Amino acid sequence: MAINVLIVDDSGVMRAMILKSLNMSGLPLGETHQAANGQEGLDVLNQNWVDLVIADINMPVMNGEEMIESMKQKPETKDIPIVVISTEGSEKRLERLRQKGAAFIHKPFSPELIRDTIRNLLGLGGSDDRGTD
Amino acid sequence: MTAEQIKETLYNVAGEVLEKLAFIFSFPEEEREPMDYSDAVIARVFFTGPFKGTLTMAVSAEVIPEITGNMLGLEDNNDSTKEQQCDALKELINVICGNLLPVIAGKQTVFNVEAPGIIGADDIAVSGNAPGPPAVAKLDMDDGQCDLVLYIEK
Repeated sequence: MAINVLIVDDSGVMRAMILKSLNMSGLPLGETHQAANGQEGLDVLNQNWVDLVIADINMPVMNGEEMIESMKQKPETKDIPIVVISTEGSEKRLERLRQKGAAFIHKPFSPELIRDTIRNLLGLGGSDDRGTD
Repeated sequence: MTAEQIKETLYNVAGEVLEKLAFIFSFPEEEREPMDYSDAVIARVFFTGPFKGTLTMAVSAEVIPEITGNMLGLEDNNDSTKEQQCDALKELINVICGNLLPVIAGKQTVFNVEAPGIIGADDIAVSGNAPGPPAVAKLDMDDGQCDLVLYIEK
């Protein structure tokens, strides 16, 4: 199964870093889409089949929390797994995100952490490449 | 947290983020003079929460392509655009600030960190309503320097 991924971050450099990590991860990637804020992310979701959303929190126009709220209100998008990658350090905000079903990765991150978090979230099994073939 | 502890935290967080995000090793150079800001790329971020303030980060212009190339995984550091270089510095200061504030104020606190911006050398000394001197971290890297200036308003 190829995973179609949407990366939402207002930093083009950060989107590129996340994409590079995904390409290195060994995960079965399909199409990858990018958006610079939550509204653009919702627009991509309206027009494409996406299996996984990776989103920042602090973004202009529409932040990551608002985007997740909007996704949860639509039958077509409410069950899409979400990974939040952010500098957010507030336990209150992190708990709110967990209650919405999002996994969380703190910046700065390692490619291995992204890989393992996505594997766990999607139930792909294995925490590294050893013995998974 | 005392002023000395805040400065030490600034050094620790900045060094860790530079290493993990930009794959750049940095070394504290407490005794050196502040860097020449006219030959630097400078970013600033404002934050509000239990206290408010600004964090400013200046990096020698000659190091920025290496930082950007490392973050983007470019084979030739000179392939990055000015826009990407500014974006890389803004992302670095954003991550440093986001990691710094919970260490200073506690993990239960909530801060709003504004989008970082690139500023000119003349703007770096602006302190707002800060009651005291800023916390300053002076870091040296292989091919340049990095200064971080943290103003906290009570």
